[in-house]
Amino acid sequence: MLVLEKLQEKFPEEIIETGESAGQTYVVVKREKIFEILKFLHESGELLFDHLADLTAVDWLKKKTPRFEVVYNLFSIRYKHFLRVKAQVPEEDPRITSVSSIWKVANWFEREVYDMFGIVFEGHPDLRRLLMPEDWEGFPLRKDYPLSLEPEQEWQGLVELKEKARRLAPFDWYQRVPGERGPSEVNEEAKEG
Amino acid sequence: MMAAGASHNDLDRFGIIFRASPRQADVLIVAGTVTKKMAPVVRRVYDQMPEPRYVIAMGSCACSGGVFRTYSTVQGCDEFLPVDVYVPGCPPRPEALLQGLIKLQQKIRSEHARWGSFR
Amino acid sequence: MPQAVEIIQKQKNSDQWDEPYLVNMGPQHPATHGVLRLFLELDGETIVRCDPRIGYLHRGVEKLSENLTYSQAMVLTDRLDYIASAANNVGYCLAVEKLMGLEVPRRAQIIRVIVCEMARIASHLLWLATHALDIGAMTVFLYCFRDREWLLDIFEEICGARLTVSYPRIGGVRLDFNQKIIDELYRFTEEFPRRIPEYETLIDVNRIWLKRTKGVGVISGEEAVNLGLTGPSLRGSGVRYDLRRTRPYLIYDELDFEVAVEYEGDVYSRYRVRMKEMREANKIIRQCLDKLAECEGEPVIAEEAPDLLIPFSKPKRPQPAPHPKKGFLVKSVEVPIVPEGEVYFAIEAPKGELGYYIVSDGSGHPWRVRIRAPSFVHISALPALSEGQMVADIIAVIGSVDIVLGECDR
Repeated sequence: MLVLEKLQEKFPEEIIETGESAGQTYVVVKREKIFEILKFLHESGELLFDHLADLTAVDWLKKKTPRFEVVYNLFSIRYKHFLRVKAQVPEEDPRITSVSSIWKVANWFEREVYDMFGIVFEGHPDLRRLLMPEDWEGFPLRKDYPLSLEPEQEWQGLVELKEKARRLAPFDWYQRVPGERGPSEVNEEAKEG
Repeated sequence: MMAAGASHNDLDRFGIIFRASPRQADVLIVAGTVTKKMAPVVRRVYDQMPEPRYVIAMGSCACSGGVFRTYSTVQGCDEFLPVDVYVPGCPPRPEALLQGLIKLQQKIRSEHARWGSFR
Repeated sequence: MPQAVEIIQKQKNSDQWDEPYLVNMGPQHPATHGVLRLFLELDGETIVRCDPRIGYLHRGVEKLSENLTYSQAMVLTDRLDYIASAANNVGYCLAVEKLMGLEVPRRAQIIRVIVCEMARIASHLLWLATHALDIGAMTVFLYCFRDREWLLDIFEEICGARLTVSYPRIGGVRLDFNQKIIDELYRFTEEFPRRIPEYETLIDVNRIWLKRTKGVGVISGEEAVNLGLTGPSLRGSGVRYDLRRTRPYLIYDELDFEVAVEYEGDVYSRYRVRMKEMREANKIIRQCLDKLAECEGEPVIAEEAPDLLIPFSKPKRPQPAPHPKKGFLVKSVEVPIVPEGEVYFAIEAPKGELGYYIVSDGSGHPWRVRIRAPSFVHISALPALSEGQMVADIIAVIGSVDIVLGECDR
């Protein structure tokens, strides 16, 4: 395949493995020069991968080392060829260079991967949590994260909310006896105290 | 919910009108999954409503969490809201929602002793 | 970004408002099509900065499907884009089939194309209804829902559900069409092209509509590709990228249809693209119905399909003992038949490129399911589309990129 030949010619040191899965070519690279590789793929006139179809990560807990793989699915709208680039990221130092200056679409993809896997993208303009609340603990899509949380692991916001609901329940309008203190009085008391 | 309000199943003929603000609403329809991030917002919307206020949990996800027994989903919005009517289904048919609303109207009618005969 | 309280405090103290004004919109705002939250920084009435906050409908579908078998995980895909759920099912099934190397019977492929295009029409009708409602044309809403109810009734006849159909299965589709459905679809395809001009006469000569859509949210083709826009939002900017033509799947390469492209790149041209697509989708359904008559009586599900083990269509006949190689969904017995590997498969969903990236480790569960949702990308492009516009225009822009938050947050 032309793309692979070009890539091997340009970055012979970086490529670890190439192969094919379900008819789609993939290439595994080292993470150090991922920015240069993707910039080359994006800007080279004969390859022109202008459409970053997807950017995600895979957690290979206890299956492979290094543990994480950041996966870039690239497509060229003009030449209609497809390539999957996978960069290996170790568990102890989960960081990789951001590509959001090449494709703007990578901005949110990288934020999502940071949110879900805890992989830090260096050079990202605005790396915050995207899907989960900002004070959430842990990275949900890692394999060692439980599917449903135990009561003691519960997010603090929900615990507070349930506490508030329990506190206000006796004062809700259909349970209130006329003449007693209502929620407005309770709120005022809470403000003062 | 939109289909229930539109041409075929017209909610207006039961005297039910969508309002854009919780401050003008009598009933809160919780349509769809309530996530942990969304739950404080739903509670705040409920707190903004004037009394008397009612809640309808529409859909399996709002009733009990449905298939989504995961880290980010609240298992039913009755964990933090007093729910009056549960409408099952994923998603419920417009007819099911209509029946839930009529059930709520019956419930309100049965409370006339509390609110006076004009209700 | 400063807190809202600080800004209000500042504005109280100073005589002039030199700070940009901060407005929070959502997440329960009715015009944001779900639970989207926007932080807007305004200078007068111009948007200086737009910061979308999502995640209010994040249910953990990707994590959940790692803990279910392949067939069970398909049911979750309905709940992503619940307006066009058939297209989501087809995308997931195609991805798993590609990984398994499973050949789908021709009749099943034709039926899948039909339900995909029905979902496209239903989705675009809902889009037109809500978009027009946001901009201020109430009548279109009622007319669109009239036709959408017709389509949903046909869906109900096909599989028993209106929205979350779960009708395509891995290896084919669940049931064959009966004659009543085919007759109803023929009547629909006869009638529907006459309905589209009705909507167009309602809004195309409406001066308010034209004022609020033309020249709003303009984006060039090159930038749209860089922002990752796909589907009608990209084709409104003049890029001819339609996965049904670029990377044909199912039987789309045999069908005769045009890819709708407009060149202005504003809200109005995206509306034109969708109207054209509805006409083309109608044409595709008509052609598929003719093709369906040619392969009457052929099976609609492959021999090796895992779903065949569920007795449904032939309940009376004694079933042979299930061969363990055949399936992975018999109650809780999971049998690995998906080989090790990974695949990225994308289809042209009504909203754009819907991609499934599935990694299998050879067991009964998928190791990783990643859903590349078009709405997610479209919301991430909102700042680029809306900055420098008026604050009222952001409603038109949100409507024009056609988002569903269930798919965006997953």
